[in-house]
Amino acid sequence: MRYNEKELQALSRQPAELAAELGMRGPKKGSVVKRRLVKLVVNFLFYFRTDEAEPVGALLLEHCRVTQEEPSGFSISFIEDPERKYHFECYSEEQCLEWMGALRRARNEIQKMTGKDPLEQFGISEEARFQLSGLKA
Amino acid sequence: MKLNERSVAHYALSNSPADHRGFLRTWGGPGTPPTPSGTGRRCWFVLKGNLLFSFESREARAPLGLVVLEGCTVELAEAPVPEEFAFTICFNAPGVRPYLLAADGPAAQEAWVKVLSRASFGYMRLVVRELENQLRDARQSLALHRHSSWKAGTSSCKTQPPDQLSRGLENGHTLSRDYSPMGLVEAGGSRPAGRNLAECELQGAASLLGRGQSPVSPETSCFSTLHDWYGQEILELRRGWRQRARGSQLKCEQQDKP
Repeated sequence: MRYNEKELQALSRQPAELAAELGMRGPKKGSVVKRRLVKLVVNFLFYFRTDEAEPVGALLLEHCRVTQEEPSGFSISFIEDPERKYHFECYSEEQCLEWMGALRRARNEIQKMTGKDPLEQFGISEEARFQLSGLKA
Repeated sequence: MKLNERSVAHYALSNSPADHRGFLRTWGGPGTPPTPSGTGRRCWFVLKGNLLFSFESREARAPLGLVVLEGCTVELAEAPVPEEFAFTICFNAPGVRPYLLAADGPAAQEAWVKVLSRASFGYMRLVVRELENQLRDARQSLALHRHSSWKAGTSSCKTQPPDQLSRGLENGHTLSRDYSPMGLVEAGGSRPAGRNLAECELQGAASLLGRGQSPVSPETSCFSTLHDWYGQEILELRRGWRQRARGSQLKCEQQDKP
């Protein structure tokens, strides 16, 4: 599947919801824990070698399941293969819970699950929304 | 750069709701298949949030490509592009070429441009900021009005509120509920990101006023009644503070235990 890798790399440089150095272990059997700079940007989780500017990889977080594995560790797996887990080690339970909460909120799907368009409920008409696209950030 | 492609493809094919879908002609570019030049290649596109997937056909069992729609602008394509109903997706990122897509007709073109413009989280944050500004302005104007009507007495309360507040809200945004900005906050449901303290304060006041009371001062020039009415808000806040203080005290005690 092709994807716009350069744009994804640029996204990894944007301000993060949450960023920290964590221990990370890939899903393959026998993989070891490595220190990674982990960065949550919109619905992507990027992970970097601690001294590098470009990410080693990215995880799209849609349809992910976040599970607490130990007091200070959690895992991310995906709906099509729930036993295939990416493990993360935090320095405290507090940090672990903080990350778990942030990851669960990071999905497009949250809006869809509540059935509410966050703009509709404020009475913002479709037309008005389109006008806003002319605003500069 | 690695990507969890299997999961991404699974998400693309899943029943999760799509924001838009349809056939578009594409001329290649990251995330879309290369084409023989000229006519472009007709693919089935599905937009889910900030993710634009392309497929060979509606029945395809794997996506051809993905375009992540953060940091992009979408524009109608201008001459010298000879294609009708064309538009471009442009990225700010260095070394990323904009790429060209074309719809089947003017309505489809307009629909795609609209929906793609709104597709990024960046856009949502912009809207949230705009909404927060409006809430702040409306709240200020409400506070001013409350203050002035309290001074003036009861007669002014009944006639003024709707106009004053709706004038305060610009850009053609209309409130589908009652004029009160408190009504906005009460709507509840999912909240956009970027919640801040002001919004939480507003919610506290709203929950009081939401109990069927007029957001404008109660009909009275009697000081003690007004005092009680404003006092309710203070009592609620105090209750909240005490609970939080108790909570953090408990936490400290627990930490002290062996």
